Amino acid sequence: MTNRRDFLKLSALAAAATTGMPGFLARAAAQAAGSKTLVVIQLTGGNDGLNTLVPYSNGAYYAARPTIAIPKKDVLTLTPDLGMHPAMRPLMGLWDGGRMAWMENVGYPNPNRSHFASMAIWHTADPSQAQSDGWIGRLAESIGDPFCASNIGAATPQALRASEFSLPSIDTVDNFQLKLPQGLGGAFGDMLDAARSGEAAFLTQATRQMMKNTARVQANAQKYRAGATYPEGRFAAQLRDTARLIAAGVGQRVLYVSLGGFDTHAGQRAEQDELLGTLASGLAAFHADLERQGLAENVVVMGFSEFGRRVAENGSAGTDHGKGSVMFALGSGVRGGVHGSSPDLEDLSDGDIKYRQDFRGVYAEALSGWLGLNAREILNGDFRGPGWLA
Amino acid sequence: MTLTPLTRPLSAEDAAHFLRRTAFGATDAQIRALVGKDARTAAREALAFDQKTAPGNPFDPMQGAGPGPMLQLTRGAWLFELVYGPHPLREKLALTWSNHFVIGTDKVRNVHALAGYLGLLRRHAATTSFERFTLEVAQAPAMLRYLDNDQNRRGKPNENFSRELLELFTTGIGQYSEDDVREGARALTGWTFEGGRGNQNYLEPSRFVFNERQHDPGRKTYLGQSGELRGEDIIRLAATHPQTATFVSRKLHRAFLADTPDTAAVQGSAETWRRTNGNVRAVLEELLSSEAFYASRARIIRSPVEYVVGALRTLGQPKMDAKALLNLTQTAGRMGQVLLQPENVKGWDGGREWINDTTLLLRLQLAAALTLGSKAPPLTAAPSALALTGLERPPSAAATLKLNPQQATYLHLISPEFQLA
Repeated sequence: MTNRRDFLKLSALAAAATTGMPGFLARAAAQAAGSKTLVVIQLTGGNDGLNTLVPYSNGAYYAARPTIAIPKKDVLTLTPDLGMHPAMRPLMGLWDGGRMAWMENVGYPNPNRSHFASMAIWHTADPSQAQSDGWIGRLAESIGDPFCASNIGAATPQALRASEFSLPSIDTVDNFQLKLPQGLGGAFGDMLDAARSGEAAFLTQATRQMMKNTARVQANAQKYRAGATYPEGRFAAQLRDTARLIAAGVGQRVLYVSLGGFDTHAGQRAEQDELLGTLASGLAAFHADLERQGLAENVVVMGFSEFGRRVAENGSAGTDHGKGSVMFALGSGVRGGVHGSSPDLEDLSDGDIKYRQDFRGVYAEALSGWLGLNAREILNGDFRGPGWLA
Repeated sequence: MTLTPLTRPLSAEDAAHFLRRTAFGATDAQIRALVGKDARTAAREALAFDQKTAPGNPFDPMQGAGPGPMLQLTRGAWLFELVYGPHPLREKLALTWSNHFVIGTDKVRNVHALAGYLGLLRRHAATTSFERFTLEVAQAPAMLRYLDNDQNRRGKPNENFSRELLELFTTGIGQYSEDDVREGARALTGWTFEGGRGNQNYLEPSRFVFNERQHDPGRKTYLGQSGELRGEDIIRLAATHPQTATFVSRKLHRAFLADTPDTAAVQGSAETWRRTNGNVRAVLEELLSSEAFYASRARIIRSPVEYVVGALRTLGQPKMDAKALLNLTQTAGRMGQVLLQPENVKGWDGGREWINDTTLLLRLQLAAALTLGSKAPPLTAAPSALALTGLERPPSAAATLKLNPQQATYLHLISPEFQLA
C-alpha cells in the first residue's frame, strides 16, 4: 500500500507540474498506453436482469411474474431458452454478428440489497466494503495518469475515485473549455499559487488539473464528425461525446457513462421498457459511429447494474430489490454469445437468484484481456471470468 | 459528553464563519452586527425563526401550464426564498432536510404534494420532535408517492419506503435486518394518499389516507419489538432508536461542521439528542454555539445551491429578474444540484463529490456572470475579503490588489476560500 500511495503522490504532482512527467512515470504511462478503450455503462437503480435477458422457456419465470413477464411471443430469441427484451431490438444486428455477449448470473458474496452499499461494492470491487477508492481509480493509479479514465456526465461515480486525485467528469465536450475573462489570467495564476492546506489545497489542485484536462481535450476534439445519427436524449448525447473523445485520441483508456431510473418498484413494464429502448438505441448508434470512424475494433462496451430484482413481482406490478443479475458486453473484441449458466428459478435465496459468477472475474478479463493491465493488482486478488473476450 | 460551549465573544472572523454556515454568507454590515455577541445568543437568535416568507416572490407554481413548468416555478420560488427570505437558517435547514428525507420531482409532480413537503421541512426545520417530523414526512403524499408506499397493500407488500426509512432516514445501515424491512412494510400497508395522481392532475390537491382494508393487522416483530404493530409504531420505533440519534446527528454535523465529521463531536450531539428525545432545536443550539463549530473553518465544500445563494447574499441580495433566477436554478442543476431532485434517494453525497472539471468550469462562468457580465448586478462597493472568504487576510488577497472591485470580487468568488464554508 505504501508504495502505491507514494507512487500516486508523485503522479498527482506530475499531473500538476508544467514541466512534464518524471522519466519513470512517462515510461509507465507509455507502457500502459494502448489503442484499446473500455466503455463502462452503469444502469443505475437495479436493472431487472430477468426481464432483460428473458428465460422464455422457463415456466417458473412466468409463474413468478403473472403481470410483468415478457410474453414468449415478444421475446427476441437468442438461444432455445433465452431472448432479449423486445425494446433491445436495435442491438440484434450486433448479436447476429457475434459482437454481443451476455454474462449470466453475476453477483458477489453476501449480496446487499441497499442500492448504495451494492453500488459501492461494484464501484470499489470490494464486497467487504473496506475500500473507498474505485477500481477505475486504482487502474488510473497503476497507469499513472489521472486523465486515462473519465466519466461522461455531471458527477463522478465512486468507481473513478482514487486516493489522491479524482478523475475528470466531462459533462459535454463542447463546454469543456476554460475561458478566463480578459486580463485576469495573471491574477488567476497568482491566486492559485498562494499556499494552502486541507480542502482549500484540494480545490487548488482540482482547478489546476481541470486547466490541464480541458486544454488536452480541446486540442483534439475538433477532429470528430459524427458517423451515425444518434437518438434524442442525454444518454445518447453522452455516448456521442464518448465517441468524440475516442476519435480525438485524447488518451483515455476507460470512459464511463450512466443511465438511471431502473428502480422499478411499481409499474415496471412501462419504465423498464423505455429505459432498455434508450439503452439499446443509444448503444447501436454508438457502435455504428465507431465503425464509420474505423475505431470499432478498438472499443469494447461493458454494462452492469448494482443488482437485479427479486424473481417474483410485487403487488404493484413492479419488483423489489434482488441480488445477482446479468451483464452485457458489445464490440468486435467480445466473444458473442451467452456466458455462464442461467439461474435456477426454483432454488432461490430469500426469493432471489443465487449468483454463480463473481463480477470481479468479468472486470478481471476486461483489465487483463482487453486493456493489458495487471488485474490482480487492481482488484486485489485473482478472479476468474466467463471468457467473454474473443 | 455534550459539546463544549464557546465562551469568548465573537470576533469578526467568528461572525463571518457563523454567517457562512447558517446564512449562506452575509454582507459586511451583517457581519459587524454580530461581532462581540456571545455564541449562545447568536445561535438562539438565528434559530428563533417563524414561518414568514420573502415578500414579492415572482414565482407561483400554480401558474405552471403543465407539470414541467410547475416544477420550474417551484424551484424558482424556493431559490427566491433562499436568496431573499428573512430566515436563511430555516432555508438552510430545509435544504439539509431535503437531502435527508429525500423525494424527487421525477416521481412527485404535483404542486400541492411539493408545497406540502417543503412546508413540512420549513415547519420542522429545527423541530423539537424528530419522531413527529418523521411521522409527518411518512404521511406526506410526496413521500408516499416517491417511495411507493401508496402501493403497499396487505398481502402485496412494497418494501421501498420501509427499507429507506431504516437505511437512510433513521437508524442507518447495519442496525436492522431484512426481516425488519419486511415486517415494517407489513405494518405500513394501507398508508396511501388520494387525489393529485397522474400528469393531468398536477394542480389537484392530494391528502394522506389510511386504507384500513388494505392494512395487514397481524402480529409483527420490528427492531426487537413484537405486537400488532401499525405504521405509527414502526415510525416511532425507527425514529426513537438510539442509533437514529447518531445517524441523523452526523448529517447535521456534515451540514454545519465538516464534510468529514469528527466522530467524538457527533457522539456529543447524539447524547444531547437522546437526552432530549430527539429535540433537534436543542441539538442545533448546542452545536452552533460550540467550540467545535467555531474551530471547524473551511471544512465544508459549498454545494452548487450554497455557492449561488452565498454569492448573492454576500453581494447584498441584489435584485435579479425572474428569468435570471430561473437560470440560476438551472445552473445549480448543471453543477449537480437540482433543487428537490437529488440523483437518488440517498441524496447528494456532497463534499468533494461536488468538484470535478465540469462543475469547476461552471463555477468560474457563474462567478464571471455575477460580477463582470453585461447583466451583472451593479456593484458600487465590493464586499470585503472577510465577507467573501471568511478571512481578514485570505491567501488570494495579494492577487486582487491591482484589480477593480468587480474583478476583485470575481477572483474571490472563484477562490478555494469562497467555495468553502
